Amino acid sequence: MTAQPASEAPLIAVRGLTKRYGAMVAIDNIDFSVRRGEVVSIIGPSGSGKSTFIRCLNGLEIPSEGEIAVDGKAVPLADHRAWTRLRPDLGMVFQDYSLFPHLSVLRNITLPPLLRKRMKEAQAKERAHELLARFGLSHKADAYPIELSGGQQQRIAIIRALAMSPKALLFDEPTSALDPETIRDVLAVMLELAREGMTMIVVSHEIGFARQVADRLVFMEKGRIVEAGHPDELISRPQSPRLADFLRHLKH
Amino acid sequence: MSLILDNWLLFARGLLATLQIGIVTLIASTIIGFVLGTLATTRRRSVRLVVRGYVELLRAVPLIVNIFFIFFGAPLLGLQMTPYMAAVVGLSLWGGANGAEIVRGGLMGVPRHQAQSARALGMTEVEIFVYILLPQAMRAIIPALAGLLTLLVQSTTLGALVGVPEFLQISRLIVERTTVMQGSDPAFAIYAFVLLVYFVLCSALTALSRRLERMLASGSARKTPTMTVEATAVS
Repeated sequence: MTAQPASEAPLIAVRGLTKRYGAMVAIDNIDFSVRRGEVVSIIGPSGSGKSTFIRCLNGLEIPSEGEIAVDGKAVPLADHRAWTRLRPDLGMVFQDYSLFPHLSVLRNITLPPLLRKRMKEAQAKERAHELLARFGLSHKADAYPIELSGGQQQRIAIIRALAMSPKALLFDEPTSALDPETIRDVLAVMLELAREGMTMIVVSHEIGFARQVADRLVFMEKGRIVEAGHPDELISRPQSPRLADFLRHLKH
Repeated sequence: MSLILDNWLLFARGLLATLQIGIVTLIASTIIGFVLGTLATTRRRSVRLVVRGYVELLRAVPLIVNIFFIFFGAPLLGLQMTPYMAAVVGLSLWGGANGAEIVRGGLMGVPRHQAQSARALGMTEVEIFVYILLPQAMRAIIPALAGLLTLLVQSTTLGALVGVPEFLQISRLIVERTTVMQGSDPAFAIYAFVLLVYFVLCSALTALSRRLERMLASGSARKTPTMTVEATAVS
């Protein structure tokens, strides 16, 4: 670790990222970077590779080719241990919340930092209670995931990722499995995090959220970035016929 | 009743042999089952294939053939096996193969995203197994494993066929001896007693597993006790 200020360098920088499954190319030579504090929304038809793409960023999928640098440091792509160390820095929230059903909410939140950071039990609990209080879920600390609504579970999943003090959060369709009423609660949490300057990459079809929060909107198709730019710009004046088409379908 | 009291020393020796085979076999089967069952879920294809081969082979062979094979086959390899050892090894290998299937099934039953989200939180593969996968798998494993262990206790009677003086064998001896010496056939009384003893042994095992199941369920599924009961009934 050098004392060099890294604020100028992008937090996540990707070059020539390619992911193949056999002969199928899921991600096709993508260049991409995210600055600190930036919120990027990724949209695209299903099968466009957007989920695969953000899973490549924290090594849940190991890229076939390319370079990934986090905080200015290149990640050795084939090194499983390096990925394991890196992953909590890029907290991830999944579509199906994935809380651990056999653990209480509090334990869900404290277990990963206890295992990783060697935090003291009391300290980890204090931090968990702080986060729960901040998002109005204190009364659920001792509940089990099965006793919570989908929206509550998803908010706990976000808190669980935050408890690792991540540098960025990756969202993989965080609202697509939720009821319309609870989507709002989850989006409100994401909005608050964005306002506080959390770096976020969000794969989602919530165009409203992208418009309101994202600094940049990225449209993916067939494993490539077709178009990227400011959300308002992109939505009102799509350059490619594919994006225009996609946006029309989304509105209906 | 007096028959049983008269022969209590013999019965006790038989029961002791049965318990010895039973306990060693249960422990060995459980260990083999967990180790192989876990290996059966690793990403390495070669490891999975070896485990698969072992499991398929032992499950396809009648248990008694397996014990015979070990008892009569071991000397050919220069190993001298007592009947007791042959019974323990034969039962354990068979129990381990079946246990591996149970453990593998339990682990595979845990949704895939569980490991993935644990991985995303920076847990190592070992931590994921210990803290996330195994505790969830145990709820499916315990009732099935209890069933297997009960079956193993009953199968210790096969030891008699290679000459282990276990409980059933001793009981038969007592029946024969009494018939010859007293001229009356006590078979019904003696075997009723034998039945009772096995019943008590196996029920104790089942009760223990129920208790373990309840302990596990009281944690995560407080709201769904009915679901756990259903799952048990199906398996």
